[in-house]
Amino acid sequence: MSTEQSLARADYPHIATIPTRWADNDIYGHVNNVTYYAYFDTVVNNYLIEHGGLDIVNAPVIGVAVETMCRFSESVAYPETIELGLGVAKLGKTSVRYELAVFRLGGEEAVASGHFVHVFVDRTSNKPVPIPAPIRTALERLMENEQ
Amino acid sequence: MSEIADITCREDFTFWYAMATRWNDNDQLGHVNNVVYYSYFEACVVNFVQTECDNDWMKSPCLPYAAETSCRFLRPVAFPSHLDVGLTITHIGRSSVKYSLALFAQGDEEPSATSEWVHVWVDRNDERPVPIPETAMNAYTRHKK
Repeated sequence: MSTEQSLARADYPHIATIPTRWADNDIYGHVNNVTYYAYFDTVVNNYLIEHGGLDIVNAPVIGVAVETMCRFSESVAYPETIELGLGVAKLGKTSVRYELAVFRLGGEEAVASGHFVHVFVDRTSNKPVPIPAPIRTALERLMENEQ
Repeated sequence: MSEIADITCREDFTFWYAMATRWNDNDQLGHVNNVVYYSYFEACVVNFVQTECDNDWMKSPCLPYAAETSCRFLRPVAFPSHLDVGLTITHIGRSSVKYSLALFAQGDEEPSATSEWVHVWVDRNDERPVPIPETAMNAYTRHKK
């Protein structure tokens, strides 16, 4: 579970801004750990929709999460606005592994980092299928490191 | 992620938490959203810490913080399934502990997902790691795989 992952903002080709919400905080007064995965889920799907043309209502091929992980170093809390870094570490025929990191607004070093593996499947048969071309092109752009 | 010890048999878990899925756990694809699995695992872990470790969230001088979590999604579940979440302890350190969990649809022998959680016990005030409290340590030892 301890694959080393970059905490540096410059290593993430795509940065998305997320406003935290009141109910994201738990009894500790921090954003609950589970909620980080909702941020991951949102940032990944937003990217596929905006840059890969994913139609979440009608697309015949959809991404299914098969594995996710997050390591938490420092807490964040509502009402902070945070930034999520997104990159692609591995692009296979039917699957992709995204690397994600959570930054305080303008932060250079991540306060949490993790990964998310999507397998693309036929919406009807649920069987893995090749990643559709427009999505693959968008994902390839996330493999380009800015540095 | 090959380091994840895949504990998948019901017999391997020593602590159980049963729960019902809810309508809004399903996402647009018609099954429980991946994020929600973590809330199921969290409910089991938190229940363990409260009942077995005798932790009082509002008063205890030290508390467990999630340091790392992961999940492998093996097959979908959907509302209105009822779930059994199993827990066992796979590593005990000075301040930290690792839980291995699995989620089963009631009646299933194969898990729908497996998960690992690492808790670090910290001082409530300064949030620095502290040794695992004695009652918690005893509970972890009882449930150690």
